[in-house]
Parts: sequence; C-alpha cells; structure tokens
Amino acid sequence: MRLAAELAVREINAAGGVRGRPLALVLLDDSASTQRAIQVARQFYDMPDVYAVVGHLTSGTTIAAAPVYNGGATPLLEISPSASSPTATHGAPYTFRVCPTDLLHGARLAAWARRQLAAERAAVLYLNDEYGRGVRQVFTSSFTSLGGRVITDDPYLPDLPSFRPYLERLQRAGGAQVMMVAGTRAGAEAIMSAMRAAGVTAQVMGGDGLTGLETDGTLISSAYLPDRPGERNAAFVAAYRRAYDSRLPDHRGAGAYDIIHLLARGLDAVGPHRGRLRDWVAGVGTEIPAFEGVTGTIAFDENGDVPNKDVVVGVVRGGQLVTATP
Amino acid sequence: MTGLERFNTLRVRIALGGLALVAGMVPIAFIGISALSTIGTTVATELDQLQRVTAVSNGVTVAVSDEIRAAEQYLSARTPEVQQQFRTAAASVYTFQQALQSLGALTEEERIAVTRLENLQAQAEVWYAYAHALADLGRRDDAHAAAITAREPAEQLLARVLSVAEGQSRQAEATTDRLVDAARTRRSVVLWVLATSVVIATLVGIALFRSVDRPVQDLVGAARRFGAGDFRPMTLRGTMPGELRELTDAMDSVGARLRTIIVAVTNESQQMADTASDLSAVSEELAATSGEITTAMVDISRSAEKQVSGLEHSRQRMEHLATLARKNADVTQRVVTLGQQIRRLADDRRREMETAGASIADVRTVVERSARQVEELERLTAAIDDFIDLIKRISSQTNLLALNAAIEAARAGERGLGFAVVAEEVRHLADSSAKAAEDVADTVRTIRHQMSEVAQTMASGRGKVAVLGPMAEGVQRALGDIASAVAEVEQTTANVSREARAHLEATDEIGTVLRTVSDAASSHASSAEQVTAAAEEQGASTEEMAAQANALTQAAERLRALVKDLRV
Repeated sequence: MRLAAELAVREINAAGGVRGRPLALVLLDDSASTQRAIQVARQFYDMPDVYAVVGHLTSGTTIAAAPVYNGGATPLLEISPSASSPTATHGAPYTFRVCPTDLLHGARLAAWARRQLAAERAAVLYLNDEYGRGVRQVFTSSFTSLGGRVITDDPYLPDLPSFRPYLERLQRAGGAQVMMVAGTRAGAEAIMSAMRAAGVTAQVMGGDGLTGLETDGTLISSAYLPDRPGERNAAFVAAYRRAYDSRLPDHRGAGAYDIIHLLARGLDAVGPHRGRLRDWVAGVGTEIPAFEGVTGTIAFDENGDVPNKDVVVGVVRGGQLVTATP
Repeated sequence: MTGLERFNTLRVRIALGGLALVAGMVPIAFIGISALSTIGTTVATELDQLQRVTAVSNGVTVAVSDEIRAAEQYLSARTPEVQQQFRTAAASVYTFQQALQSLGALTEEERIAVTRLENLQAQAEVWYAYAHALADLGRRDDAHAAAITAREPAEQLLARVLSVAEGQSRQAEATTDRLVDAARTRRSVVLWVLATSVVIATLVGIALFRSVDRPVQDLVGAARRFGAGDFRPMTLRGTMPGELRELTDAMDSVGARLRTIIVAVTNESQQMADTASDLSAVSEELAATSGEITTAMVDISRSAEKQVSGLEHSRQRMEHLATLARKNADVTQRVVTLGQQIRRLADDRRREMETAGASIADVRTVVERSARQVEELERLTAAIDDFIDLIKRISSQTNLLALNAAIEAARAGERGLGFAVVAEEVRHLADSSAKAAEDVADTVRTIRHQMSEVAQTMASGRGKVAVLGPMAEGVQRALGDIASAVAEVEQTTANVSREARAHLEATDEIGTVLRTVSDAASSHASSAEQVTAAAEEQGASTEEMAAQANALTQAAERLRALVKDLRV
C-alpha cells in the first residue's frame, strides 16, 4: 500500500503537482492495532496541512480511528482502500472506502464453494477480530442458506499455540470439503501447515486478508487482481513492476493508488480545505462524474461505500494470485 | 404645540414606562429563560448520555459475566446448550463494545480502554474455545491448562468491565454534581435577575404613577368644581401631558360654553315665560273662538239639514211639473200638426187663386195691350195721312214738271221727241201716284173707322176685366190671411212646443240641479258636522295648548330657578 501510494504521488508531482504545488505524503504506522490507530489518527488530525488520510488498512483500525477523524471542529477525510467490515463507514460522514464489504467477500466465497466446488461441508477458522468475525458471519450464513453445512466454526488469535485440537475435532466430526480461513495470510499459512500435519484435506479459501499467500491452489477473493483487464490497470501494473523490482501490486496498493489520484483531482478542484475536499469526494458518482481507477469505477453512496464494485475470486498459481476460472 | 410637547402625552409616558419595563424585563426574562433552558438542555443531555452509557456498561458487564460462566461451565458439562450460551454471550460482548465505542462522550483514553477490552475479550474467547476443543477431544489436563490461560484475560476483562461500570458510576456522580452546580449557578442568576427586575419595575412604576397621577388629580379637582356648578375658568399647575392638556382645554371650552349657555338660558327662560303667558292668553281666545265656531257650525249643520229636506220636497214637485209639461208638449205637438195640415190646404187654394188671378191679369194685359196697339194704329194712320199728303204733293209737283218737260220737248223739235215721251210717262206716273195716294187715303179712312169700333169694344172688355181683378185679389188676400193665420198658429204652437220642451228640459235641469243642490246640501251638512267636530277638536287642542303654555310657564320658572344658583 505504501509503495503504490508513493508511486501515485511521484506520478502526480512529475506531472506538476496539484495547483502547481507538489503533493506530500506523511506516513504513520498503526501496526494494525486499534489502540495505535486512535493515536495515529489524533496525530494526523492535529496536522493542519493534512487534508485527507489514505487508510486505515484494516476494518478494526478504520473503525477505531473514525470517531477521531469525524469529531471536532475540522473533521478530516479518511478513505480506506481495504476496510471491508460492513459497518466501517456507517454514521461517519468523513469516512469512505473504495473496496467492497465483507458481505460481498463472504457471499462470493460461499457461492463459489457451493456452486463451483459443490462443497456440502465447510469448516471455518476465523481471526477473532472485527474483520475475521465479519467475513465468518457472512460466509456461514450464506453457505448455510445455499444448502451447505458448517461443521466447525472456531476463533483463533496469532498467539494460539496450535490449530491441531480444532482440526482433530473436525476430523472426528467427519471432516469438510472446504476450509474457510477468515483471517490473514499468516494465520492461513499456520492453518495450512497444521492441516498437512493432521492430514486434513480440504480446499482452503479465504477473503482478501489472505492476499500474499503463495500456496498454489488457494482460493482468495479480492476486489482487485493485477490481471484485471483494462489499459489503465495494465499501465499501473507495469509502472509498479518497474518501480518495485517486478513485484505485483495487491488490492490494497491498487486501492491506495486510486485514492491518491482521486484526492489529487479533488484538491485541484476545490483547493486545500478539509471540508470542501470531503464534500467534493462525497459527490463523486452523483454530482461529480464517477472516477475511473485501476480498481474499477469509484462512485460513492450516502454511506461512503462503493456498492457497484464487485469481488472476484482468484486462485494462487505459481505464487501469484490470478483470476480463477470456474 | 412644539415638537417636544407633542411627545409629552400620557400615552407616551405610559409607553415609555412600558418600554422601560419591557427593556428591563426582556433581557431579564431572556436571561432567566436561557438559564432555565440551558439547565434543562444540560440535564436532558447529561441524563441521556448517562442513561446510554449506563445501559451499555451494564450490558457489557452482564455479557462478560455470562460468557465466563458459560465457558467455565462447558468444561465440566459439555452440552450444546452451554456452548451456544457461551457463543451468544461472546457475540453480545462485541455488540456492546461497539455500542460503547460509538458513544460520543468518550475520551480517547476511554476509547483506547474499550479497544483494550475488545482485545481481552477476543483472547479470553479464543482460549476458552481452544480449551473447549481440547475438552471435546477428551484431553482434560490440556483443557484445564488452556482454561487457566483463558482465565487471565477473562479476569482482566471482568475487572476492566467493572472498572468501566465504576467509572460510569463516578461519571454519573460527577454529572450529578455538575448539574447541581449548574442549577445553583443558574438559580443565583435567576434570583439576581428577579431582584433586579423587581427594583426596575418598582422604580418605573413609581415614576409612571407620578407622571400620570398629579395631572389627573388636578383635573379631577377641576371637574369636581364643575360638578358643583362652578363654571369659572380653571387654574392648573405645571405642564400637563398631551391628552390631559387636551382634556383641560376641552373642559375650559365646555365651561365657557356652559357659561354662555346659562346666560342664554336665563334670558331665554324669561322670554319663554313671557311667550308662554302670551300663548296662554291666545289659546284661551282661540278656545272661545272655536267654541263659537262650533255653535255656528251646529246651526249651519241644522239649517243644511232643513235645506236638504226642503230641496227634496221641491224636487218631487218639480218632477210632477215635469210630467205635466210633458203632457202639454204632447198636446201642443198635436196642435202643430193640425195647423200644418190647415196651412197646407190654404196654401193649395191660394196657389190655385194665384193662378186664376194671373190669368185675369194676363187678360187685362192683353186687353190693355190691344188698346195701346189700337191707339198706336191711330197714331200710325195719322202718319199715313201725312205720308199720303206728301205723296200727293210730290205727284202734283211731278206732274207739273212733266208738263214743263213736254213743253220744252216740243220746243226742242225732233230731238226733243224722245224726251217728250218720257215727260209724258212721268206725267202719267205722277197721275197714278196721285191716284194711288187717294186709294190709300180711302183705305185708311175705312181702317180708322173699324179701329174706332175695336176701341169701343176694348173699352167695354177692359171695364169687365177691371171688375174681375179686384175680386181675385180679394180671394187671394183672404187665403193669404188664412195661411198667415195658420203660420202664426203654427209659429205659436212651435213656440209653445219649443217652450214646452225647453220647459221640460228646464224642469229636468231644475230636477238635476235640485238633486245636486240636495247632495251638496247633504255634503254641506256633513261638512258642517265635520267642521263642527274639527272645531270641537280644535277647542280641545287649544285647551291642550293652553295647558302646555301653562307647563311652559312652569318649565321656564324651573329653568330660571336652576340657573339662578350657577356661578358664571
């Protein structure tokens, strides 16, 4: 995300900046911690030259920081590239996001498991945070309503000593065709090694939290995949690869890249002012034409969400996530 | 009235007083209301906030307790119900935490504390879930160890939740204190404001009362004097407000007018008394006169009634007369008819006699004309005689001449022969003429003879005719006398008839006139009665007038008595 954002800033400044002035990027790390996110948000809020925040990365941090950005006399615009918790933007007029919600990820994955994989039994392991609970909740309800059965449904945290008891209990309960991991890449990797050790065979799938996982065959839903068609995306991916040692951008980087370009356009239109910039962004897709980014068309609804953006299911092939074909 | 005086009115004084009051009271009321509404709003906000915070913190406390209890219970009694209770309680902890997070009143430290709660909750939940999985696998010792690990964050969670609840309770106390302080401050503000307003209102009221009361009292005194009948001009102190000044001016002018009126009333009442006594006298006279009129009219009325009955009698007689006259007219008409017949006969006879008389006259004319012609013939025969003489003389002359001519012719010899013949002839002719003249003379003599005979006959005829003429004339005259006598009769009867008709008409006319007169008399009588009634009424009115004149006199007296005491 940082790399893509820096790429966008470089592009903008190379083209003359905004209103003749170069765009500056202030970087602060919330370490994906909600407590840290609140402190970081306060720091950004108190910087008068900061007109918008690209972040936060996770749903939990975005939600925790939202009251800071939305309060006070000079609220600050916050646009997250990847906060997918359904209620992350609700009741917060200065909080926006450019990604679909977990509802869509959980629903798309459940549908893929039931329809493409014809799975009837699923096991769920979820990271016990805002994001993990959200994806798990949508997945289990969607899968059940499509006629499938969730055999086990257990929470985990990074300091959990072992996944073996959960997996053994699953085996004892008859196993499952699909292992849904509602969590992050690290958790998924630990789960997969535990599965191999326990001899549990199930198709592993998960939401965009699993992005970066390199185990071939894993199904990962994402709002953006680098192989997404379109000239604009092709140019972005090419530039990213040139700049960053042939690496491929993920959905978070692409979202941040789009947000930076969108903000530059807004600042150019209304000038450096927090309230005016927020109002301009709120009008994108209604009063102002929708923004065509590398992740697709950005048009905000009254919550600051992008309901017209969809989720695709990708598959890891050769260490890279590519669009899965049914 | 100068510009300043224009504003020196009661209305302006009261308005200024009112304005001063309003100007004083409005900010006071505003301050009071805003103080009260602020405190009301503060109380409402604080209480609402407190209520929500309390509800959420209570909810989270209960949910955490339930979660730990169910989690511990599942380790000893592994039933799906307990597992379900554990999961439900855990889920509701997150819900309450989110609610706590979205409360506006939290400080950032509190927010961080809440997110710390969430982390503890997640840890406790995961470790209990892990312990449950181990318990499900029958690994009791491992499960127990995991549960012990779970208890640490669980206890911390519970402690923090309780401390949040305590914090809320402290916050509630602080809120109460704040509210009490605010109420105390507002109360002192309101009290101060009230005291100020009372002072301002009192001062304004006194000033207003003074500015209005004194002139009013002055005016009241003046009005009382007026009431007591003293209409002498007023003397007032100081400046008066506009309306009272107007009132004073009005009362002054009322006093002046009343003075004028009282003088006028005094004079007028005297005059009125005089007039009333005059009127009384006149009305008495009038009453007497109308009494007389009444009497006279009663007489008239009575006479008129008599007249009516007399006229009625006359009318009846006139109608009888009219009947007689009509008969008379009929008789006269018959006489006229007879006279006309007589006259017609007399006229016929007379015309016949006239014809006879005319014949006699014609005869006489013829006879006379004949006599005149005979006389004319005599005169003509005399002329013939003269003519014969002339012719004789001419023939003798001619003869002589012829003789002379024959002598001369004889002397002329032969050449005179022819002439001698002619002379001879002429002499013959003269001889014949003399002879013819002689014959004529003879004839005339015969005629003259015959004529004298005719003349004698005619003379005797004329004598006879002369006798017949006067006789015819006598008859004719007699007939003319008859005719003229009849005409006269006719004329007379016509006159009589005409007069009878006229008489009849006159009689009818008289009847009509009589009826009219009678009606008139009747109406006259009723009019007279009306007049009488009117006269009687007039009498009554006159009496009334007299009474009113009397009352007028008394009123004038009273009026005089009334104004007598007024001071002008």
